[in-house]
Amino acid sequence: MNERQTGLRGRAVSPADDADRAVLALVTDGQLDALQELYDRYRIMAYSIALRITTDPSLAEDVVQDAFLGVWRNASRYVEGRGSVKTWLLSIVHHRAVDAVRRRRPTSALPEREETPPPALTLPDIWSEVAAGLDRDAIAVAMATLTDVQREAIELAYWGGLTQQEIADRTGTPLGTVKSRVRLGLLALRRALGGAPDGPINPGEAPG
Amino acid sequence: MNREPMSHDDVRAYAAGYLLRALEPGEEAAVRDHLATCPQPHPEFAELAGVIAVLVEDVELVEPPAALRDRIMEAARADLAERTLTERTRTERTLTERTRAERTLADAAPVPEAPPTPEAPPAPQAAPAPAPAAAPTAFPSAAEREIRRAARTSRLDWALRIAAVVAIVAAGAWGFGLQRQLDASRQFDQAVAAVIDAAGRPGAHSVILTPAEGKRGSGIAAVTSDGAVTLAMRDLTATSGGQVYTTWVIVGRDAPVSVGDFTVDANGTARFISRPEPTPPGAIIALTLEPNAGNTAPKGDIISTGVTPGATG
Repeated sequence: MNERQTGLRGRAVSPADDADRAVLALVTDGQLDALQELYDRYRIMAYSIALRITTDPSLAEDVVQDAFLGVWRNASRYVEGRGSVKTWLLSIVHHRAVDAVRRRRPTSALPEREETPPPALTLPDIWSEVAAGLDRDAIAVAMATLTDVQREAIELAYWGGLTQQEIADRTGTPLGTVKSRVRLGLLALRRALGGAPDGPINPGEAPG
Repeated sequence: MNREPMSHDDVRAYAAGYLLRALEPGEEAAVRDHLATCPQPHPEFAELAGVIAVLVEDVELVEPPAALRDRIMEAARADLAERTLTERTRTERTLTERTRAERTLADAAPVPEAPPTPEAPPAPQAAPAPAPAAAPTAFPSAAEREIRRAARTSRLDWALRIAAVVAIVAAGAWGFGLQRQLDASRQFDQAVAAVIDAAGRPGAHSVILTPAEGKRGSGIAAVTSDGAVTLAMRDLTATSGGQVYTTWVIVGRDAPVSVGDFTVDANGTARFISRPEPTPPGAIIALTLEPNAGNTAPKGDIISTGVTPGATG
């Protein structure tokens, strides 16, 4: 199903990602040096994500530590061919950061604790390599194609750690509207980045 | 909590919220349950997951504090030790000597019920009781503070460090991994074997030495009933010129007593047996890097410290 996107950008797996996989294999073997290497490769991204979500440097540090220890203990659960190491690692950071802010927010229900991201996040994901090849300007331009309400909904969810219900409550918008803003916003972003033609996401798939 | 099964189509509609982690907990669990068992493909997840990977790139980049790396690596090291020990205890134990030594080491450091969290204050451990007429100490106050900090190291941390040493003995060079460290690893193994041998004698105690802040060098020591300290250290900086590492025993507020010097080559490991000096429970064992041998009061920085177990205040 991904030939279309692979063809779009040529090589699906970058040399950087090959190196990441090699490092991760050593982490799986319990090599501390490899963990440090992985940390040095992604510490800035990891900390930046954690800091933006938690807005608290000390909590962000705890989140990054928690995430890298999760990687350290569960490196074997990374499945080759299902997305890049970078995407896998940063999604763990994101989840831990969201958990941390929700734990701090008494009104929020905490998602069930998981050691690894939900399985869908490690499904085949050519797009993360596409993302890696995009410069920040291209991403900013793509973000600008969203409507303000779509962008707000996505940012409140992704960077604010709010659930769709909480976004609905906070913005005084019906839940169904929030859901469609999030979904349509993501699809629009995908289109703007040249990933898929207009239309249904899965034209070839029979409903189950 | 609502955990009614979702249909295939329901789950597709939840993909965006799920990937953004913006579902309510019950919904999230239902989606996960479905994905875990659904025989049909769910490409909508993979397709949207890629877009979310793009969102990450929009973050403003901030360098984390340098100390975070040390914290993470220290925690990973402790985890590795614990893991190795757990695996090891499941396997057949063939060497009774090791078993005996392990028991001795385990007795030295009970594991608390809950692991310490990063925010939690270190497990309180009473500082050595002040002697009534304390002799003036030659140590600078900063160094003394450093020793007190080391003395407060949580007991879990200690237990894990002990486990690390035992694991290294059990697993040989496995914990070191890299070829260039094999020699150091073997030498350290031999040194640790000597420590374990000493620790197994009646009335002996084991002590874990941890590096002072910003310093390198950790290891294990056994204090036998005659007060001699058998020491195995690794990761020390090599000595040069007339430099020596000096081992000190500090009892309460008494001045440190030198129990001997040793040098270290480029592989960073050391094996050392000290002069016997009274080393009661709660006594601090400290290593300093001295500019010359034979000093009777420390001149150099504290490199690594440990506290003889058994002090209750």
